Amino acid sequence: MNAAADTVRFENVSKFYGEVLGVNRITLTLSPGITTLVGPNGSGKTTLMNLMTGLVQPSRGTISVLGLEPSNATEFFCNVGYCAQFDSFPRGLTGFQFVLDSLMLFGMSDEDAHGLAVEALERVQLDAAAAHRNIAGYSKGMRQKIRLAQAIAHHPRVLVLDEPLNGLDPMARAESLALFQELGRQGMHVVISSHILDEVDRVSDRVVLITGGYLIAQGNIHDVRQEVRDKPMQLLIRCDKPDLLASKMFAVNHCVEARLHADGGGIFLRTGDVDQFYRVLNEIAIEGAVKIEAVAPFDDNANAIYQYLIGSDGSAL
Amino acid sequence: MSVFQHDYRPYEGPTTVLWKRPLVLARYGLAEAWGSKITVGLAVLALLPCVVDLVLMYLADNPVAKMLVVGGSKVLEINERFFLGVLETQCWFALVLAAWIAPRLVSFDLGDNALPILLSHPVSRFGYVLGKFIALAVSLSYVTWVPLLILFVYQCYASPVPWAIGHLGIAVGLFAGASVWIIVLSLIGLAVSSWVKWRVIATGAMFAVVFVPAGVGGIASAILRTKWGLLLNIPVVMSELWQRLVGAPDIFRGKVDLPTPAIAGVLIAASLLCVAVLNARIRAREVVRG
Repeated sequence: MNAAADTVRFENVSKFYGEVLGVNRITLTLSPGITTLVGPNGSGKTTLMNLMTGLVQPSRGTISVLGLEPSNATEFFCNVGYCAQFDSFPRGLTGFQFVLDSLMLFGMSDEDAHGLAVEALERVQLDAAAAHRNIAGYSKGMRQKIRLAQAIAHHPRVLVLDEPLNGLDPMARAESLALFQELGRQGMHVVISSHILDEVDRVSDRVVLITGGYLIAQGNIHDVRQEVRDKPMQLLIRCDKPDLLASKMFAVNHCVEARLHADGGGIFLRTGDVDQFYRVLNEIAIEGAVKIEAVAPFDDNANAIYQYLIGSDGSAL
Repeated sequence: MSVFQHDYRPYEGPTTVLWKRPLVLARYGLAEAWGSKITVGLAVLALLPCVVDLVLMYLADNPVAKMLVVGGSKVLEINERFFLGVLETQCWFALVLAAWIAPRLVSFDLGDNALPILLSHPVSRFGYVLGKFIALAVSLSYVTWVPLLILFVYQCYASPVPWAIGHLGIAVGLFAGASVWIIVLSLIGLAVSSWVKWRVIATGAMFAVVFVPAGVGGIASAILRTKWGLLLNIPVVMSELWQRLVGAPDIFRGKVDLPTPAIAGVLIAASLLCVAVLNARIRAREVVRG
């Protein structure tokens, strides 16, 4: 299998709605696994997803999804599953009918569509009794599940999920994330846009940060964090003598902040040079004056990267 | 980094041919249209004139009953003029039904933002509109050419004299006249519904699209002393067309006399305008920032 046939590629893609910028000069390659789109409201995440699903055409540039272009509608759409962010359904249908009719739009026979609809509903854990009720009577969480079932029912290879965790209770969110992880591990492309960064962070293989229509960063969360060198990295160090460790760390000039953990069993440190920091920490550990139990990055996550690169006001820093 | 097993298998079974996909949307549309009690009520109401016409035909075709009710008068004569009246009645009921159904087919989808979810399937915008068009056309057929042809068949059966052979042109005219109206009405209904997201306003807008230009055309005709303003008057244009298709004499219609090519031109132009509106409005776009 060649690389293009297994990736989602954007090459210098721009999308303008008249004079309004949707996204600009996006060049991106997404491999299988879970990719999270992160950005403030109106940053262009949905435009990017609409471009990926062939719902809008780029003003400039080219998009290739598994080597297919949206103009090849039949094959393209059979490989893409889309879960829109809006609470939108054709009216008057039961959940089961919605998934079934969706499968028939993909060209499945009645028999195949029936089997796949049942399978999809089982995967999203929507019980049979609920599936045969009218969608209008569903709770927000059930509507989210039925949208997800519709998106995965036809066995797409690329699954695009716009805010799939909205409205789900913690249990349902955990189940959905487990499902995304399973699909990602099986080699499916799962592209998620979500504001629940803490939870998405745990399952994402890579993040794509976007704001104002521009791509800010992309890649593995840890790699992206490493690239943000102008923001001191925060680490949590669990040790028996945090005050002594703090005094030793302040002896080196890259350490800019130290704060004791609330339980007194550790210290938060902010360092401008993480490589230097680890060297010093090694030396301290070898000295044996401080017994170090654990070292973990504390701002090595999507939420922190978002804050550093985009900021709380949504403008790129 | 996740370990990608690459054991995910997309669906590889047989699929139906592409042209059948809009029929799924038509089914959606029919379920939506006829899921309303008001639709059923309007449809029943629209069939009442047919029941009255059926009774009149029975009386006309039964010499004893005719003698008892109207004596020797020619009031109850079943001919082109009778069927033209039936056609016009049913077609205006179709307008009422279309004004109710069309917004349910499209405005709801636009209002609910359902287009992205539907168009992320292997169905084009044309396929979407075609599916909705089929749903609307089938619904309107139920109150137009279907009952009209049933009445025609009944007349062929009940007439005491051989009638069918000499009047086949009426059946063709009824079907053609109703079909043209269904096509025009469906396109207007879908276009208006795609433009106006609020269903009630869309229903009102449909009547406005049919009758407001008629008023404007009438004023223009009166001021400029020309008949061409009447080309904006869809009721007059359609009446002229129906009369010619059914082959009825125009003794009740005054002297309008619009040329047939002009009538065809107006209807084609109106249809193309509706297609242009649909092309502009039926889009999968979810978010337009501004």
